[in-house]
Amino acid sequence: MTTTNYDPRVLKAPHPVPGAPDNWKRFFSFNTDAKVIGIQYIGLALFFLLVGGLLAMVMRGELITPPADLVDPSVYNGLYTMHGTVMLFLFLFPVLNGFNNLLIPTMIGAPDMAFPKVNAAAFWLVPVFAVVLLSSFFVPGGPASSGWWSYPPVSIQNPLGHLINGEFLWILAVALSGVSSIMGAINFVTTIIRMRAPGMGFFRMPVFVWTAWAAQTLQLIGLPALTGGAIMLLFDLSFGTSFFRPEGGGDPVLYQHFFWFYSHPAVYVMVLPVFGIFSELITVYSRKPLFGYKFVALASFIITFLGLIVWVHHMFYTGTPQWMRNLVMITTMLIAVPTGVKVFAWLGTLWGAKIRLTTPMLFVLGGLVNFIFGGITGIMLGTVPIDIHVGNTYFVVAHFHYIIFNTIGFGIFAGIYHWFPKFTGRMYYEGLGKIHFTLTFIGATLNWLPLHWAGLYGMPRRVASYDPEFALWNVIASIGAFMLGVASIPFILNIVSSWARGAKASANPWRAIGLEWLLPSPPPAENFEDDIPTVISEPYGYGLGKPLVEDEEFYIRRSMEA
Amino acid sequence: MTSANPDLQLKHQPGHIKHDGHNLTGFIIFLCSESIIFLAFFTGFALLKITSPEWLPSGVDGLETKLPLINTVILVSSSFVAYFAERYLHKENLWGFRAMWLLTMAMGSYFVYGQYVEWSGLPFSLSSGVFGGTFYLLTGFHGLHVITGILLMGLMLFRSFRPNNYAKGEMGVTAVSLFWHFVDVIWIILYVLIYVWQRTT
Amino acid sequence: MTSTRRNPKKPLPIRLLVVILSATVVDAFLSFQVSRWAYGWLPVPASTAAPYVDDLFSLEVGIGAFVFIGCVGFIIWSILFSRAEKYDESDGLPIEGNTKLEITWTVIPFVIVMALAFYSIHVNEKLASLGPKQKYDVAVNQSPDAVATLDARRDVGPIEVISRQWSWEFVYPDGVRSSELHLPLNQRANFLLISEDVLHSFYIPAFRLKQDIIPGSVISYSITPTREGRFRLRDAMFSGAYFSKNQTDVIVESEQDYSDWLKATASRPLVQGLSPGTALYEKRLKDGDRGWATVPPAPPPMVNDPGNPDAPHDA
Repeated sequence: MTTTNYDPRVLKAPHPVPGAPDNWKRFFSFNTDAKVIGIQYIGLALFFLLVGGLLAMVMRGELITPPADLVDPSVYNGLYTMHGTVMLFLFLFPVLNGFNNLLIPTMIGAPDMAFPKVNAAAFWLVPVFAVVLLSSFFVPGGPASSGWWSYPPVSIQNPLGHLINGEFLWILAVALSGVSSIMGAINFVTTIIRMRAPGMGFFRMPVFVWTAWAAQTLQLIGLPALTGGAIMLLFDLSFGTSFFRPEGGGDPVLYQHFFWFYSHPAVYVMVLPVFGIFSELITVYSRKPLFGYKFVALASFIITFLGLIVWVHHMFYTGTPQWMRNLVMITTMLIAVPTGVKVFAWLGTLWGAKIRLTTPMLFVLGGLVNFIFGGITGIMLGTVPIDIHVGNTYFVVAHFHYIIFNTIGFGIFAGIYHWFPKFTGRMYYEGLGKIHFTLTFIGATLNWLPLHWAGLYGMPRRVASYDPEFALWNVIASIGAFMLGVASIPFILNIVSSWARGAKASANPWRAIGLEWLLPSPPPAENFEDDIPTVISEPYGYGLGKPLVEDEEFYIRRSMEA
Repeated sequence: MTSANPDLQLKHQPGHIKHDGHNLTGFIIFLCSESIIFLAFFTGFALLKITSPEWLPSGVDGLETKLPLINTVILVSSSFVAYFAERYLHKENLWGFRAMWLLTMAMGSYFVYGQYVEWSGLPFSLSSGVFGGTFYLLTGFHGLHVITGILLMGLMLFRSFRPNNYAKGEMGVTAVSLFWHFVDVIWIILYVLIYVWQRTT
Repeated sequence: MTSTRRNPKKPLPIRLLVVILSATVVDAFLSFQVSRWAYGWLPVPASTAAPYVDDLFSLEVGIGAFVFIGCVGFIIWSILFSRAEKYDESDGLPIEGNTKLEITWTVIPFVIVMALAFYSIHVNEKLASLGPKQKYDVAVNQSPDAVATLDARRDVGPIEVISRQWSWEFVYPDGVRSSELHLPLNQRANFLLISEDVLHSFYIPAFRLKQDIIPGSVISYSITPTREGRFRLRDAMFSGAYFSKNQTDVIVESEQDYSDWLKATASRPLVQGLSPGTALYEKRLKDGDRGWATVPPAPPPMVNDPGNPDAPHDA
């Protein structure tokens, strides 16, 4: 609600009051409003995107020449380890939790999450484990330096022999991150199951809610396995046990099973919500219903189920038996089917559409093109004989960055631009957005496309130096990386200046169909408060002429008046 | 109502915010997740036991099963006592509830004590190869959960003395009871894996 | 789910079908071309396994190119021809789905990926027969030879491949020790892969072979080289500070050259073998030990033939 009355009672209110002088303080407090927590997550995550990106700039600076001439190899190892860890645990998972917080309650017509205090606690754990993780740069011996996988025995060698070392802090940070994520997952799943608006059966939920639910289910099932493996690793590192130490009868490959049992589903945790974002945005900017909504919704859970039985494809040449590799190759190939259903559904939605190439749509289409490429290289990696050749080379690095940045990153940017007006009440600058997209698409392609060939020709990953025949690919890649660094400038400028002084956004600037667009921009503290609408149609009814809710006119007028 | 047209007849019944009833759902989801970490430990334990070239540390022939069996009986029985406590609470017999609840806590504490006695008499340590590591990790992690359960029960007991806490208290007791049964089932699996299935080579 | 409302008497959209068909043909042609180029994206094939891997790779590149060109072509076509006019606020076609189409695009990919999977299993079995792998767990005081069963169909070996932080050592059956791996052409060589400390990986890109080496175990592995030359052997499993330097060469030569080398090397005295990490670590210590924690390198292996690390390699 706009208010020009800065009455102290209003200023004390916990929810954001746009225009009020102290509004920004709410984002630095223990605030239980999911919309505030969502912005806290996203803001913090974008900060760590820059931190992880800075580490990447140093890495690509090292790799622009064959010898290890920029930093000591031991330092390079710490950098690439922390790059991966920061990007995954301090950027990707928090930013997606931010989207969940903003979108799940508003999309299902709930006032807030099921457990608001737990929600806030889960967020505030993030700065805590961030401090734990980043403090490892300053302990004797430096940070963890065995990759974000932290495979034993090399990760538990502890050369200096101190109890508190980089690896110890790394394990602690990852464990805390797991606690925060599980708290979030319990919240999101309970909210979706129990707090939907009247009339919103499962097959009237927006696809983003389906994919968020599928993703959080994976967190609930997979994270405890990682925690278990991390505890055993910590004990091996610090308390003299031998779970993974061969000298004591342990098995290093057992750790890999624990690790990948979570970390493979983790990639679906990251990509599923972005599939949801793609579904939401393609319909708005094509002005068409989603092609095959029910198939797309169900495919999310098929991906969840299959995602739990393929982890061994990260271990095809690490000493697993033949029967296991053949079996997992089949299950891995199968995941292409529900994923293909989604991709073809998006293409079907483009048919006969009225496409508007706004910044969010550009990122969606660019992300989709990149995803098709990344998915194909994924099928190659799932083929055992090919994986034996390209596994642990830059082919893998190129593949997963095509998914993590060129698809998921693009989807996150798309979502930020699309929902920016709704949750900040301001419009972003479209021109800067298009510049951001152009630089990002070109930079990302230059950065990772050439590296596929470096890997095919045999360049291993995680190396600080390489044979001179790989130089050309690496020079192009580094140029692309530096371009990506530059691309962050229009993005930051856009977000900051638009929030501070962008044009006021209406309740529904995109003329989109969805419960969140029936709320004012930004929505009030408890969203629909005590007048939750009754849903009467399937989502994305573009061109079908049916209202989404009972008395839609009433809600539209109410959102415009606030 | 909208100021634009105050006479507009509304067709919908406003859906109101549901404020309660989510806690048990959330707790059950939490327990499912927690069971996976135990499942991970059990799987690791079983795999290491089957594949390790050397299992028992030198000088150790196996584990004594009599004392742990007594502990098991007491812990499993305490689950039934907790169930009786819940029944008393449901019939609004607060003192009956408190008595049974306290007995459950006592039996749980005896279990923890028994575990401590067993640990202090063992000839191997945490760093005695795979066997020592997995034994202390599994029993220790489980013991931590028992202690947590006892503390949570204490909290419920304390809250039962608060006036008018009845309705909210019943939900809390159901949750803690569930947690206790969970801890019990985990122990039964643990007992079979560690004490009943012993590898002697 | 409503399907597109169609008057059953409506004539088939001939133009559309022709466009789709010709696009498909162009796509197939381009994909076939790309699949042939794919052979050039791999190192020179130098083992009996390589042709099978390369054929499979080419097939997947072809199928992938077909899907990519098709999908991206459609996206570009949509961007060009399905744009909304500047002030056009109307909606697109109100199509919610088409069950037949959805079933088709579920079943066809399913068939394709299953076919790929079973073909790959077939290739896998072929590779396993060309180069069987077997892992044996080794207890602390056991010798690897006591545990491992060797490949009965080997022509050469067993050659012990000892990986350390950060060097490779090859021990031949007659006791010759080398920093470079010499192999006779077209002879099946059996290796015993051993690690003395952490995980390493035995990766020879030209052979299309990679096998992680797990401490506490010995892996019996065989391969048959089919091309003479000098090929890189790289450690592909991260193993610590100087991991990127843990590389050496594989020299495939004629049987005659190979036995000549063996005989000549047997009489050479033992010297320090190739271990680039040693010199780098010494330099680091001299410069004040700046840098993050690392274990010191294992002492360089004592070998008869320390090799020629500066010689140019083929792949």
